[in-house]
Amino acid sequence: MRFLLKLAWQDLRGSGQSLWVLCACLVLGVTLVAATGGLYQQVWQGLQADSRQISGGDLQVESRARLPAAAISWMQARGQVSLLIELDTMMGTAAGDFQLVEVQSVDQHYPLYGALTLDPPVPLTDVTRMQGSRFGLAMDPVLADRLNISIGEVVEIGALELEVRALITEQPDRSLTASWRGSPVMISEEALLDTGLLRPGSRVEYEYRVRTDMDLSAWQRDLFAAFSGTDWQVSTFVDSSDRIGERLAQAGSALLIVGFSTLFIGGLGVFNSVQAYLQGKLGTIATLRSIGLRDQPLALVYLLQILIMSCLSCIAGAILGLLLSSVGAFFIETQVRVEMMLGSALLPSVFAGIFGLLIAMTFAAPAIGRALSVDPAILFRSLDGVATGTPRGWWMAAIGGAALIVLMVLILLPDPMFAASFVGAVLCLLVMLDGIVRLIRRLALRMDGQAPTRRYFALHLALANLHRHGSALRVSLLTLGSSLTLLVACTILISALLDAIAETVPEQSPDLVLYDVAPDQYPSVSRILERHDAARIDMAPLVQGRLSAINSASLDAGGSLEAQREARDEHKLTYRAGNIDGVTMVRGDWWPEDAAASGAWVVMEDREADQIGLEIGDMLTFDIAGQKLEAQLTGIFRQKGLQTRFWFEAILSDGVLDPFISRYVGASYMPSQNAVAAQNEIAGLAPNIVSVRTATIVATAKDLLGKVVAGLAVVSAVAFSVSLLVLTGVMASHRSRQVYYSTILHTIGARLSTIRVSLSIEYVLLALVTSVFALVLGILIALPLLHFQLRLPLEFPIWPAVAAAFGVSSLCLYAGADYLMRRLHLQPASLLRGQ
Amino acid sequence: MIWLKNIQMSYPLEQSRVTVLKDVNLNIQAGESVAVVGPSGSGKTTLLLLLAGLDSPEDGNIEILGTRLDALSADELADLRRDRMGIVFQSFHLIPSLTALGNAALPLQIAGDADADAKAREILSRVGLAHRESHYPMQLSGGEQQRVAIARALVHSPPLILADEPTGNLDKDTGMAISDLLFELHDTLGSTLVLVTHDNALAARCDRQLRLDGGCLVEGPVHALPA
Repeated sequence: MRFLLKLAWQDLRGSGQSLWVLCACLVLGVTLVAATGGLYQQVWQGLQADSRQISGGDLQVESRARLPAAAISWMQARGQVSLLIELDTMMGTAAGDFQLVEVQSVDQHYPLYGALTLDPPVPLTDVTRMQGSRFGLAMDPVLADRLNISIGEVVEIGALELEVRALITEQPDRSLTASWRGSPVMISEEALLDTGLLRPGSRVEYEYRVRTDMDLSAWQRDLFAAFSGTDWQVSTFVDSSDRIGERLAQAGSALLIVGFSTLFIGGLGVFNSVQAYLQGKLGTIATLRSIGLRDQPLALVYLLQILIMSCLSCIAGAILGLLLSSVGAFFIETQVRVEMMLGSALLPSVFAGIFGLLIAMTFAAPAIGRALSVDPAILFRSLDGVATGTPRGWWMAAIGGAALIVLMVLILLPDPMFAASFVGAVLCLLVMLDGIVRLIRRLALRMDGQAPTRRYFALHLALANLHRHGSALRVSLLTLGSSLTLLVACTILISALLDAIAETVPEQSPDLVLYDVAPDQYPSVSRILERHDAARIDMAPLVQGRLSAINSASLDAGGSLEAQREARDEHKLTYRAGNIDGVTMVRGDWWPEDAAASGAWVVMEDREADQIGLEIGDMLTFDIAGQKLEAQLTGIFRQKGLQTRFWFEAILSDGVLDPFISRYVGASYMPSQNAVAAQNEIAGLAPNIVSVRTATIVATAKDLLGKVVAGLAVVSAVAFSVSLLVLTGVMASHRSRQVYYSTILHTIGARLSTIRVSLSIEYVLLALVTSVFALVLGILIALPLLHFQLRLPLEFPIWPAVAAAFGVSSLCLYAGADYLMRRLHLQPASLLRGQ
Repeated sequence: MIWLKNIQMSYPLEQSRVTVLKDVNLNIQAGESVAVVGPSGSGKTTLLLLLAGLDSPEDGNIEILGTRLDALSADELADLRRDRMGIVFQSFHLIPSLTALGNAALPLQIAGDADADAKAREILSRVGLAHRESHYPMQLSGGEQQRVAIARALVHSPPLILADEPTGNLDKDTGMAISDLLFELHDTLGSTLVLVTHDNALAARCDRQLRLDGGCLVEGPVHALPA
């Protein structure tokens, strides 16, 4: 064994940098998997460790009004209770700017889990109590920074002026979106009452958080039994943790899939690299066999070599990935709760390393087996065209490795659906590619047999290069095809996202979006908007109601906890007129125009409808503030992703909601420079009206989507650079053979120009086929992601994907052909000299 | 047919140059068979390279089939080889991914001959490999591979055949069979044959024998040539 290790090491040392493509592919692939896996694990651990803190308690009972004393006593008998009153409103600064904030008022029990930290470190009650003539507040540092507010300044909320006395440095239940939408501002309950914002129709939420040791399902059942007929919504920390966890798992899976894809493409690089390396070792292998080294120790020598190089590369990749995940965790710590522990990221790095090693050995096995099958008789003949083939045992080993890889992907990916889809897509890709390779070979062979193509030697040569045995067609198509497919899918996602941003630009979107306009405020708000040259004002009622029965069957009649909770979900209802949400009907249709007067009709949003299992024609009963409203379902619609602003869940026929309207939401189109003045004037007149300038939303959306686009671009770039590496390896490994063939042809009379033309034709054909393949498959992968995950419209510009596919494949293959042609230094003398 | 005048050729050797051909003059008539013998490194292959237009002399002129080689471009030289020469290598140099038929048909295909396959079949039949036309080189023995190489060299009936140690990689019996075949086809086609060899018996079968030694070309029967 010691001798074999020594032999392996000495032979490896004498081989220069032959395996650099193997090393580069593995390092990059393992780094990507370790970095994304480590980052996911740290975020996930943070979520798990603090899920109760993030939710604010074990349970939360939410209502639009204070709960009766009996309910509070009932809850207090079963745990510790803390009340948080929450209201979205506008906050005005001394400079006259208004900003949407989330006003929070908490009691002395807050927080039930974790600790609230303020700067300066004083108790919250001291910060918010009346001092002199003013109440005080603590605000989110991101908000203070954005508005350039410092401690001691005075701000305006509703009818009240408050003094900024502290910044919230740590809030255990801070929302994930608090940095860019409704940042928290904490005031006392007395101050909240004095703002004048608590009025009928206000979007105030009373959140009773409960800390209890009881079983949470039993607690909910008991509450529903004790207070049946109420519309309080109950959620547990598990629900919110599951929701975030699900999203996180999807995001983590998506990133890991790119990492695995990169490793998969890298695996092809490993195969080529090992094959090229061992082809150069055929003489050595044959010599070792001829002097008596048995098959098993011989295999061990070369397995050891590949194992040594793969281990070193995987360890380097795992360490790099570990470091990158820690750097990433450091950067996102301000946005997401992260468990900054090297230990959390260590396991994913170890798994990434093992995964890389498994990929390397699986892809290397056929190449090693093939090289080891060489007959020592070649020593007595020429090495040119020596017959080698992978023995069955090596294929079985590779298939076993592939099965282990699939198993690891299924286990390691957080989202099982993503994992199964990925494995399915890869298998599909391989089968399709193989089919296409066979098709091209058959077509090339057929065309090559036709008289016209045989007359043009360059074309005949190019076609022969495509259909001959041992051509680079399969491996080039697999390598470039896989990475191009990934690139096309990413390009489609990026262009669809950019298109969505473009759709949201102020020229096409309202300049001001308004929430919580009371019916009596409607005329004065309209007057302000008209005074600021509003070209159009769209107002729609916002009525909140629960879906209590379908076809007269009560939703909670089944008695299951899930059904009871479903029946307590509040839906946002409106009319079609004035609704600025972009909606697309996916099933059924709007009610006929002339039918509106003859009954009550409704269309529902697809997510709600599918969750409840609604069918067109169902008679739906809504419970609105204790009153029943019946309407027949005529259609199911989908929100147009980013174009949606209010996210209404039901749209009813005109007049049906009239008795229940207590507020409106709407939008105004005006010269954008007037939007700030109009917003400030409305906030001054009616502090309860929440208004958001579209420019702010667009800037936020652009910022957010910009990060997504940048992330996708970086990931695509890494995956693509691995592909380029692999392709370079393929070119390099086929170069010597192609130069040899070309030399023979030139020696027996083929013009150099003819050889160059044939190479050009071959590469153009390859680029064309690869581009079309990648385009079709990339679209097939991107469409479901756009439709089901991002919920974006499927109308997006296709030309960036076409340009990416054709441009990049042409560029790559041009670079490959150019590389080859530059090295096409034909030396016929070497043939005559038998070299 | 072949006319060499005052050919001078040398190769760089670290800090100096080694001269392989010194003022070589040669005339070969159409239809002749000429053997070039000599020790390793004497310049035999260099001479063959010059005749094939694959290298050019430092000094002197070469005229093949009435054409001065120094007047031709690389492409015109390729055309000359394609149409008027056949080359047989010691190591066969068949294209491994092409069948025996594909290899034999190559020169005709390069020339765009529509009957390439039919002519290749005919020549394969003449070299006794009709039954092996769909076999790849690796499925053929050394002797069979050389026969395919000869078929490739002669398929287009070139007026000039250049052979570099055509039996060098073969056993004695196979080598004998191959040389029989080569001379038989040479006689049938009436082409000129120039072969480089170490094998005195093979050289003796040629009309003329030339020995390269110290860069000089000496003519005479093999047994009479200096060792």
